[in-house]
Amino acid sequence: MPSVKDLRERIRSLKNTQQITKAMKQVAAAKIRRAEQAQKEARPYADTLSEMLRDLMASVGSVDHPFMKPGNASAPHGLILMTADKGLAGAFNSNIIRAGELYVRATPQVAWYTVGVKARNFVRRSGHPDHPTWVLNAPSKIEAAREVAHRVTDDFVAGKISNITLISPKLISMLSQKPETRALVPIARDAVAGGEQACPKGAVEFAPSPEAVLSRLLPKYLEFTIFSAMLETDAAFFAAQLLAMNNATDNAGKLIDELTIQMNNARQAAITKELLEIVGGAEALVNG
Amino acid sequence: MASTIPFKLITPTKVIFDGAAELVIAVTTEGEEGILPSHAPFLAALKPGVLRANVQAEGKSERLELATGEGFLQALPDRLTVLVDEALRFDDVDVAAAKEERDRALERQKTATGEQFAREQAVVDFANAKLRLTGHT
Repeated sequence: MPSVKDLRERIRSLKNTQQITKAMKQVAAAKIRRAEQAQKEARPYADTLSEMLRDLMASVGSVDHPFMKPGNASAPHGLILMTADKGLAGAFNSNIIRAGELYVRATPQVAWYTVGVKARNFVRRSGHPDHPTWVLNAPSKIEAAREVAHRVTDDFVAGKISNITLISPKLISMLSQKPETRALVPIARDAVAGGEQACPKGAVEFAPSPEAVLSRLLPKYLEFTIFSAMLETDAAFFAAQLLAMNNATDNAGKLIDELTIQMNNARQAAITKELLEIVGGAEALVNG
Repeated sequence: MASTIPFKLITPTKVIFDGAAELVIAVTTEGEEGILPSHAPFLAALKPGVLRANVQAEGKSERLELATGEGFLQALPDRLTVLVDEALRFDDVDVAAAKEERDRALERQKTATGEQFAREQAVVDFANAKLRLTGHT
C-alpha cells in the first residue's frame, strides 16, 4: 500500500493537471464563441452568393466552364485534407486523418493538399514531404482560402489532377463533430442550381454576359466554400477541445476523490496501528 | 426626398452596410455603372475600384465611399446587393502598404501569365482603388 506521503504527492500533481485542463476548457469555450461568431458573420455572403449562382444557372443554357467539366481522367485525384493546427482535442484530428486514409485506400492515386499542421504532419510522414500546405490559423483566413483555391483550381485546369475533394470536419453539435467528404470540382450543376428555384426572377440583365459573370462567380464560390470550411474546422476544433478538456477535468476530479479516500484510509490505518502499539505497550507495563 | 431601395454591402467576414440607398455607383468589368431604385433586374461582375453610394442613415442622406475588391452587384426590384472580397473605408486604408502591394504585384506580373496575370491585376486595381479613395495616385 502506498504511503500517505506518496498519495499526497500524487493528489497534488493531479490537482495541478486539473487546473490546467480547466483553464484550457475555459479558453476553448471563449474561442468557440468567437469561431461561431465568425461563422455567423460569413452567412450573409454565403446566402447571397448561392442566390446569385442559382439565378445565373437558371439563365444560362449550357455551361461551358472548365470547373464544371470532367477533368483529365488519367491524372491523380486532388484531395484537400483539413485539420486543426493543434491537438489536445480528443480524437478530433485523428478522425479526419482516418477519413483521409480511407479515401486513399479506395483511390490509390492521390495528389495531396493540406490545411492545418496536423494534416500536414500526417501527409509528410506518409511520404509526401513536398505537398502544398497551409496552416489553418492564418492571419487572414480568407487570404489563405483564396491561395488554396487558386492552387487547386490551377492544377485542375492544367490537368494535373482529375478532380478536387475536400475532407474537413463538420460541426454537427457541440458534442459531435464528424469528418465530411465533399466533391468540390467538377462542380455539379445540381449543387449550385438548388432545384426548387429553377426560374429566374424576371428577365435578368447581365454585364458583361451570363457566361462571363458565371466564370467569375464559380472561382469565388470555391474560394468561399474553402473559407467557410476553415471557419467550421475552427469551430469544430474548439468544440472538440472543450469536450476533451471537460472530460479530462472530470476524470482528474474522480481520481483525486479516489486517492483522497485511499490517503485517508492509509492515515487512519497508521493512527490505529500506533494506538494499538501504545495500548499494547501500556498493558505490557501494567502486567509486568 | 429621393426614393430609396434596400441596399446591402457584404464581404465574406462582415456586413459592411445594411440600409437604404438612393444611388449606388460601382465599377463593373464593363465600366462604371450607376444604379437607381427600380433598376431592371441586373447582375454584374465588379472590378476592384471605388464604390460610391448615396445612402440614408438615421433619416439623413449620406455619402458612402469605399475601396472595394472583386465582387458582384445584384439589382432586384426590391433590393440591391453588392458582394465584394473586401471593402475599406477612408480611415481603414494604409497608404504605404497599398503602394507596396501595388509595386510587388506589378513586379510579379512581369513573370506571370494567364490566370496568374489576371489575379495580380486585381491586386494592382485594388491597391489603386485604395490610393484613389485616399487621394493618392
